[in-house]
Amino acid sequence: MKTLRARLMVAAMASLMLGACAVTGVGVEGDVGYVGGYYEPYGYDYGGWGVGYRVGPGRCCDHRDDHGDHGVGRGRPGHAPAYRPAPAGRAAPSIPGRSRAR
Amino acid sequence: MTCTYRWRRGLASLLAAALMLGGALARAADFQLPALNSPASDEHHPGKMVWADLATPDLAAAEKFYGALFGWTFQHIRAGEVSYAVVLLGGRPIGGIVEKPIPAGQHQQPAWLTFLATNNIDDGKKVAVAHGAKVLRDIKSYPLRGRQCVLSDPEGAVFALLASSSGDTPDYLPATGDWIWSSLHAKDAGTEAAFYQNLLGYDVFDQPSDDGLEHVILSTDNYARASANDLARGSARRHSHWLNFVRVENAAETSAKVAALGGRVLVEPRVDRHGGMVAVLADPAGAPFGVMEWSESDTKAEPK
Repeated sequence: MKTLRARLMVAAMASLMLGACAVTGVGVEGDVGYVGGYYEPYGYDYGGWGVGYRVGPGRCCDHRDDHGDHGVGRGRPGHAPAYRPAPAGRAAPSIPGRSRAR
Repeated sequence: MTCTYRWRRGLASLLAAALMLGGALARAADFQLPALNSPASDEHHPGKMVWADLATPDLAAAEKFYGALFGWTFQHIRAGEVSYAVVLLGGRPIGGIVEKPIPAGQHQQPAWLTFLATNNIDDGKKVAVAHGAKVLRDIKSYPLRGRQCVLSDPEGAVFALLASSSGDTPDYLPATGDWIWSSLHAKDAGTEAAFYQNLLGYDVFDQPSDDGLEHVILSTDNYARASANDLARGSARRHSHWLNFVRVENAAETSAKVAALGGRVLVEPRVDRHGGMVAVLADPAGAPFGVMEWSESDTKAEPK
């Protein structure tokens, strides 16, 4: 009887520990389960940008038609864009311009 | 006799288990990521890049490099096996650096992980998975921070979602040394833009360019938050990834400083869409990041 009781207690504690580890993340990759920090695959290049390869936002309030800063999605030539383009005629916004009070 | 022995053995196991459990809970409780906002606010900006984490094998070396380059300072958090430094700019937390050893004989690429704000991380995870994403680290709660998870998008670009419990960082022009921009580089920028639009509700603006590649701006709240770009053609070894940019006064000077500090210049300083210079750099461990000049006059008027 005592043996059975001891086994039950150990089993209960083991279950509790497993549950606690799942909650705290202990044991997940040995990092207390911290969700963040991730290595990328190795062996790739991050450069090779050609002429005209621009990735940043435009300046505020650029409505210049010659730059075509509007939401009409062109996608790839001959194909409709996979995304839902912003309404035609609406200028692409820029980043926030207000400075943080110091 | 046998029963007594077993009972004692059971009791010993019980005590050991209790000690281990206590230790585990204490270690987890020690890991206190800072709140995004202090004091907390109700301001939320889904789709905005609100945090970045660097995974690197040498925390001290990373601190030395980024501290010298951007004037960042660091607040250490250690819990169990995790060595983590909160990145501070003017005393405000803007990111983190986590030390992750790379096992001998293995090659892994240190990188900055982009955290995008979401209002509902449970729904976000479901939508992402329904549209082809994979869960790399499932949702986890942190007392002051909120809930976050790490995903890879349909092309494999890794990013994180963060539902901040203290609100998202306010929409100000980032100070010099702060994150100012994020760009996604993908095999098919348009399809990837559609994925993130479904996930975070972006407005998507096509940006015609001279290089024959697709470039789009992703915006929410009438502010540009990020761009999605076809991968550049200049290299055969390409994979989809996010890249985060720090605001600098002079991209050329910063690039020279990076080289002097043991890093590398991956894309030489060049004029970007707003007329200022950008460059892509790598820290001494190889983690890529961008720098971007941005003058006050570039956003001299508010769009709303």
